[in-house]
Amino acid sequence: MPPPLEPPRLDRRQLLKMGLGAGAAGLLPLGSLQASTLSTNARIVILGGGAAGMAMANRLSRRLDGARISLVEPREIHHYQPGWTLVASGVWNPDKTMRPNANFVPAGVDWVRQPAVGIDAEQRRVSLADASVLEYDYLVVATGLQLNYHLIDGMSPDLVGSHGIGSVYASIEGATRTRDAIDAWIATGGGKGLFTAAPTPVKCAGAPLKMTFTTLSRLEDTGHRDDFQVDFMAPGDALFSQPWVNDFVKQRFDDQGVNRRHHYRLTAIDPGARQAEFAFVGPDSEFTSHHELREAEFSQEGERTVIADYDFIHVVPPMSAPDFVRESDLIAREGPFRGEWLDVDIHTMQHNRYPEVFGIGDVIGAPINKTAASVKAQAPVVEANLLAQMQEQPLPARHNGYTSCPMITGIGKALLVEFGYDNNLDFLPSFPFIDPRDESWVAWVMKDRMLQPAYYAVLEGQA
Amino acid sequence: MTIQGTLTILMYALAPFLWSIVAGVGLLVVVQLMARLRGYRTLHYRCLGANLAALAAGLSGLWWIPPFTNSRLAYVATAADWVAMIGAIIGLAIAAWLVLHPLSYLVRGQRQA
Repeated sequence: MPPPLEPPRLDRRQLLKMGLGAGAAGLLPLGSLQASTLSTNARIVILGGGAAGMAMANRLSRRLDGARISLVEPREIHHYQPGWTLVASGVWNPDKTMRPNANFVPAGVDWVRQPAVGIDAEQRRVSLADASVLEYDYLVVATGLQLNYHLIDGMSPDLVGSHGIGSVYASIEGATRTRDAIDAWIATGGGKGLFTAAPTPVKCAGAPLKMTFTTLSRLEDTGHRDDFQVDFMAPGDALFSQPWVNDFVKQRFDDQGVNRRHHYRLTAIDPGARQAEFAFVGPDSEFTSHHELREAEFSQEGERTVIADYDFIHVVPPMSAPDFVRESDLIAREGPFRGEWLDVDIHTMQHNRYPEVFGIGDVIGAPINKTAASVKAQAPVVEANLLAQMQEQPLPARHNGYTSCPMITGIGKALLVEFGYDNNLDFLPSFPFIDPRDESWVAWVMKDRMLQPAYYAVLEGQA
Repeated sequence: MTIQGTLTILMYALAPFLWSIVAGVGLLVVVQLMARLRGYRTLHYRCLGANLAALAAGLSGLWWIPPFTNSRLAYVATAADWVAMIGAIIGLAIAAWLVLHPLSYLVRGQRQA
C-alpha cells in the first residue's frame, strides 16, 4: 500500500466549511457535501477523456485547489456514443454526435494528447505512447473498453459497411456505414438478417436489441415485412440483464417474427461468401430443438458449429478492458471479471488492491453499468470517495448500480429502463410519471432530444 | 441536480433552435409593441378569427410534433405522453394567440377604425 499523502493544508475558511459539512453530513444528501474545495498539491492522472474521464476532470478541477490534474486523451473529437444507434438507424445525422474535446476540458487541467500504453501500479506511473511517463499520487482509470473484433475469425472493423456487415459499435463511421448496409439490404427487397450479441459484458447492452428493433421498424415500413427473415443469435439464455425487460424483449421478438436462437456465439465470418459461423455453447437439447439454420455441424476444438448464410449481419464484438489495462496490476485477478476488467469495489469505485486508484465507466468489472447514465451516477461517488481517500477518511459514498437504457422498441417509441444492483436488478425510475414498463413517445423524445444535453452536462460535471 | 446543471441541459437542448426561438420571440415582441402603440388592449379587442387560428395552430401540433421528434402520433400512447402532447399544444396555441391576436388588431382593427 502506498504511503498516504501529506495531510491537506486547510485554511481557516476550509476548516469551517469542513466542520459545517461534518455537522450536516448526517442530514444532507451527498450532493450537498460537494460544495467545499480541498487544497492539495497531489498529482492526479485521469486516464481517458470519454464521458467518465471528462466528468471527473471537471468535477475534480472544481473541488481541488492546487492539485496537478492530467487528463490523458489522444482524441480531439468527443463522440456522443449513445447517439450511434440513432445514426445507424438512419434517424440522426452523424455530425450531431461529434464535438471538440476542447469544449469540455476545464481550465487548469493538463490535457495530455497521447495514448496511455502502460500502468505501473506499484511505482504509480503511467507510460505514454511517446515514451514519456506520468507519475501520480492518485489515478482515475476511465479508459473505456476495447472492441475485440479480432476474436471473430475473418472479422475486422474495416469490413463494416461492406459485404452486408454492420456493427454499430465500431465507430461513428462504422455506425454510418451500418446504416448504409441496412439501407442496401432493405433495397434488395428481401433476404435474411442476422443480429448477434456478444458473450462478454458490452457497453450499452441494449444496443444490439435496439438495432434489431429499429431495423424491424424499417422493414415493416416497406410494406412487405414477410419477405425479410430476421434471426437474433444470443450467446446465452438472456437477451438483457434486467429480468422484466428480458422477458418483454423475448416476447416482442416473438410477436414481430424474429427467430430467437440462444446459446450461439459468433466465431467466424466469411465476408465474400456472406456466411457466419456460430459455435453452439449451450446444452445439447437446445442445439437440436432451436434452429432452422442451414447447418454444417462438425466438431471444432470440441465445439459444435453451425454456418448461416446472411444478406445482412449485425456484429457485436467481444469486449474487454484495453490491453494495457489488462496487462497491468490493476486488472481483476479472480472472480468473474478476472483478466478482463478493472478490479474495483463496485459500490465505492475504489480499486480493491490499490486504494489510490479509482475506476469509473466502461472499464470496471461490474455486472451491469457500461452506460453513460452509469457514469452520471458514478461520477459523484468517485469524486466524494477520492477526496475522502486524500484526507484519509472513510469513503462516504456508494454507487447503487444505477444504470439506464432508453430501450428503443421501434423508431419513435421506447421504454425508459432504469435499474440498479438491488432486488435482482429492480427498476429505479427517476420520473414517477413514466412507467418503465410502458412503451412511450415521451421516453423516445428523451432519447432523441434530451439525453444528449444531459450527457454534455455530465461531461461538464454539472449533472 | 443543481440549478446550474439544469441550465446547462437547457442550454444544450435549445442551442440547435436558438435562432428559431429568437426569431419567434422577436416577432411576438414586435407585433405586440406595434399593436399596443396603436391602442391594442388584450382584453378589450375581440377577434374570433384570431382565436380560431391560434387554436388551429395549437392543434396542428398533433400533425407535426411527432414527426419533428422522429416519431408518429400513433406512438403517443401513455398518460405521460398525452400530458406532454397536450401541454405542447396549449403552449403552441398560446404563443400563436399572442402573435395572431394583436396582428389581427393591426390589420382588421385599424381598418375598422
